[in-house]
Amino acid sequence: MKRLVLMLIGLAGFSTVYMSCTKDPVSNLSDDESRIYITDHDSTLNFSNYKTYSISDSVAVIDNQNSTRELTASDQAYIDAVKKYMNQAGYQLVSKDASPDLGVDVNHIISTSTGVISYGDYWGDYGGYWDPYYWGYPDYGYYIPYAYSVYQIKEGAMSIDLLDLKNASHNDKINVVWTGLIRGSGIFDASVADAQVKALFDQSSYLKH
Amino acid sequence: MKKIKLLAVMCVFMCFALSANAQQGSLKFGLNYNYSFPISGFKNDLISNNSPRGFMGELMYSFNDKLAGGLLFGFQDYYQKYPRAIYHLSKTQDISAVLSNSVQTTPVLLKAKYFLTPSSFIKPYVSLAAGANLIDFKQYFGEFGNSSTSVGFRAQGGLGLLIPFKKTSGSGINIGASYDYAPYKKNGYKDLNSVNLQAGVVIELR
Repeated sequence: MKRLVLMLIGLAGFSTVYMSCTKDPVSNLSDDESRIYITDHDSTLNFSNYKTYSISDSVAVIDNQNSTRELTASDQAYIDAVKKYMNQAGYQLVSKDASPDLGVDVNHIISTSTGVISYGDYWGDYGGYWDPYYWGYPDYGYYIPYAYSVYQIKEGAMSIDLLDLKNASHNDKINVVWTGLIRGSGIFDASVADAQVKALFDQSSYLKH
Repeated sequence: MKKIKLLAVMCVFMCFALSANAQQGSLKFGLNYNYSFPISGFKNDLISNNSPRGFMGELMYSFNDKLAGGLLFGFQDYYQKYPRAIYHLSKTQDISAVLSNSVQTTPVLLKAKYFLTPSSFIKPYVSLAAGANLIDFKQYFGEFGNSSTSVGFRAQGGLGLLIPFKKTSGSGINIGASYDYAPYKKNGYKDLNSVNLQAGVVIELR
């Protein structure tokens, strides 16, 4: 009996020690390693046909289906970084009134009302975040010409979208031709914005002229 | 396929049972530290890192001085973090991420052990076991992961040495090695096969 009790105690202790020694993948990541960068694009397009772009002057903050616009130091750093890498890719920054070929939106997604939404749903609400009127096309809707259903947004993300303004009149809608999504720890910080945007452009070589 | 595996397990145990004497033996409990080496598909497709985090235990009844049968159970944690890389999610969609794979296995097997030279002080043995393998698989892109839990088949062939504390003692030190066959046909993966080294103690309960 004594040996049986010892066996059970030993087994329970052994099991507890080993279960607690299980490596936790998330706690074993640095902030940099925790981040993911997702890009998607319209593969039927030749991006070198687009020469100029204009970028929104603030960031859309999406929080539970409500959106506001803000311009914190972090937001400004993201906008500046997008300008830098768009210029490096060969696009020319022009004012919104100069008929840019591409419109660029930057969005800060805080949370969603359901906790988890698909990226497709996010696009469905797109007009509420950046009204087509902002880009001079008040009667048009947005459209995504490529499948974007694999990934889900939970909480806390930055997204950058390239909009086809050059062909908006011809298409009767504003096509979203490229999207980039950044998620992970510590991304809402001006000091890391450049590296985050660079990662998106680095994996989108098709954007370069 | 499951019926064939079950039949094979039953045959193994029936063979052992038929060769055993009716003599009542002892009940022994063994607890071993387990060091695991992933091999074949497990190593190539999921995790190539060896795992020092595991144990195997067994509760064995001795039918006679040569043959014992009982229950094997255990736990092993496997983990690997791969450097940042770009993965293609679809024709147009790419993700750049640090990929982490985490696998925990909990085998619960019926086991038979055959001592080759029971009269010698150091007792070499061979063993066979088969049963269920509880599998918890988590895969992370950065800090964002998915997990799945499943139960699979597992079979084990092993060999080892039992070194008694005293010449007349049924308790002693155990060292051994095993090959574990564990198919895992999910998401294009093939198996969780491994080679394992064990060291621990065996205690005679009665």
